[in-house]
Amino acid sequence: MFDSVEELHKKLNECNYLTDRSVATVVYLAIRLQKPLLVEGPAGVGKTELAKVLASATNSRLIRLQCYEGLDESKALYEWNYQKQLLCLQVKQNQTKSWREAKDDIFTPEFLLRRPLLEALDSEEPVVLLIDEVDKSDEEFESFLLEILSDYQVTVPEMGTIKAKRIPVAVLTSNNFRDFGDALKRRCIHLYLDYPTFERELEIVKLKVPGISQALAQQAVLFIQTIRKQSLKKAPSIAETIDWAQALLTLGVQQIDSEIVNSTLSILLKYQSDIDKVLPKVSSLLPD
Amino acid sequence: MLEEKILEFSRLLRKGGVNISVTQIITALEAVALVGLAPDDFYTALSSTLITDQVDQHLFDKLFRLFFVTLARDDHQKAFMASTGKEKTNIPSNLVQNIEGKGMGRGAGASPYMLLVKAVREQNYSLLRQLAQMGIESLEHLEQEAVEEMDELMVQVKVAIGWYQAVNTLENIRLQEKVSEATYLRWQDCLSYLEEYIESHLEDLFVKEYGKEILEKIASAANIREKEFYKLDHLQILEIRKRIGKLARRLATKYARRYRRSKHGKIDLRRTAKEALVTGGSPIRLKYKKKVISKPELVLLCDVSGSVAMFSDFMLQLVYTIQNRFTYVRSFLFVNTIDEVTEYFKNNDIQEALDLSFAKARYAMSPFSDYGRVFRQFEKNYLPTISPQCTLIILGDARNNYNRDEHEFLQKIQEHVRRVLWFNPQPREDWNRGDSIMNIYAPHCRQVFECRNLKQLEEVIEAIL
Repeated sequence: MFDSVEELHKKLNECNYLTDRSVATVVYLAIRLQKPLLVEGPAGVGKTELAKVLASATNSRLIRLQCYEGLDESKALYEWNYQKQLLCLQVKQNQTKSWREAKDDIFTPEFLLRRPLLEALDSEEPVVLLIDEVDKSDEEFESFLLEILSDYQVTVPEMGTIKAKRIPVAVLTSNNFRDFGDALKRRCIHLYLDYPTFERELEIVKLKVPGISQALAQQAVLFIQTIRKQSLKKAPSIAETIDWAQALLTLGVQQIDSEIVNSTLSILLKYQSDIDKVLPKVSSLLPD
Repeated sequence: MLEEKILEFSRLLRKGGVNISVTQIITALEAVALVGLAPDDFYTALSSTLITDQVDQHLFDKLFRLFFVTLARDDHQKAFMASTGKEKTNIPSNLVQNIEGKGMGRGAGASPYMLLVKAVREQNYSLLRQLAQMGIESLEHLEQEAVEEMDELMVQVKVAIGWYQAVNTLENIRLQEKVSEATYLRWQDCLSYLEEYIESHLEDLFVKEYGKEILEKIASAANIREKEFYKLDHLQILEIRKRIGKLARRLATKYARRYRRSKHGKIDLRRTAKEALVTGGSPIRLKYKKKVISKPELVLLCDVSGSVAMFSDFMLQLVYTIQNRFTYVRSFLFVNTIDEVTEYFKNNDIQEALDLSFAKARYAMSPFSDYGRVFRQFEKNYLPTISPQCTLIILGDARNNYNRDEHEFLQKIQEHVRRVLWFNPQPREDWNRGDSIMNIYAPHCRQVFECRNLKQLEEVIEAIL
């Protein structure tokens, strides 16, 4: 798919995903070694975005599986369309058929409801499989995932084994909500995405908020980078930086002062306790 | 050759407490084959395949630097150094004069601490590096064993460059000049940069001097899961706090899952029989008892004298993070007198609560622990209010400073509660030596655990839950 790290890095940049070469290297390794890519890091640093961009950079289809507690095989892999099978049997009620024939009729791909995982394996075109927030699923699902991600095949009892037509690029994301098993971790290539550096974040803001002045963008990013050093329940993410910069631009702000920050702080901080913590010392946190 | 290097490096990481499987090493080799040996790519290839847990990243970085950079460079440089003699970095004299010129010094020329203050205020990183070099050069010859006393060496270097004085001065400047927090945070960045710089250069020196063997020592010293609590340095303490948070999360979710798994408890015979009357005596529908989760009631008695304090601190942090797993938790601090601190943990951030308890509770009238007195007090003042169902945990080293042991009061306590457990943060071989009287108290406890590092703490906690 890609012949070198440079090529992939360039492609990611072209898709407006600004990142370091090291990130590109890890993604490149995952693709070339055909191993799942496990992306970890704080919320809002662009983990899910990475998978989306990867899909468009590789001209692949993005198939997304959102994990949650209680997610099971029938929601993730496949399910028989029971209603349709029932209808089919009713229609055919008059034609006397043997049990075997009837069974062969209703357990066919036509009645199979493909859920994301099966779809990804069964797809003819290249696929990026995004398994979002793996840490939210439970342990049983994790071991089930392990099986699929190591062999890229599944067994449907009525139909036999389905092998991946082409190995999808699997991207798993995790917020460290819980620690998952070593077995799964060991099969993955690891990528830790952290908050961007000042320079990188500035670039991102200028790219995503066209029309913002250099000075304003600098002030905004500097302030956000300072806020991240406070111990907060949830530090502002890149998305929030962009929203804030956009808001500042819309409000026609030239220079960030404590008044502006006070009235827009709720864009950056989502917890009241965090706001209470930062509000009294806003003027002290602003860049000089 | 390269394979060997990577294997050797993985072994080193394992020494440092990182779990690495053979599959991972194979993947690492494949990855390196793909991206080649350009330093950055090589680093990324190894790190993304060998490190599965973010907490290990710091150790990985350190060992990677020492193993692949310092050690390798050293081979080249040895020959060169032999001919040129020791390289020395001196502070440019014009810099010193500059400061004098500005009138910051008091006549006798700028002392290092003023330079340090200046460097921090100006965020002059190259001056910071020069200062660090100067401090390191002030050290005497480094003995191989000294690597185990890295903390001590750090302090020596810091003293040489006037670190403590500088930090003090900076604090004063902050107050006097009303320095904004944004600037102050940047100062902090400078200081931690300097600290890291000194540490990494000290390690470099050791590796240059003693080569490979020392690396193993550095790796095992960094294995914080197996490092004794009282030997942790302040960065490692922060690290342990993080890991305890993680451990707590794991314990909390693990429990929740197991509870969800089975929907009901045992068969309720009485209700089943009653139900069976409706169906003519045959028990068609079974009735189940509701599953009752046993939540232990917990009372913690924490010795907070000297070397035990850190351990008590960790334990309190852990217990209060998973507070919902217990019906209630009461905690007491003691040295030679005992005071309850349960209140501080209500509606407070755990760290704040810990600070509050240590600041406000009356637990010490002298710095020497007196277990006997404490047990007597506890029995008299608190025992009647303690539920007989509770598990009572004593955290302490049983070093009684030759006071009366008063073990009969511990016996009374044991008779009152469900069980008494004792966690001792000292190595087992030191028990009953000197003023440690573990053997006198042990018979009055259900179990005594050795609990000197994070690994043992994890095991013990899993055992009691």
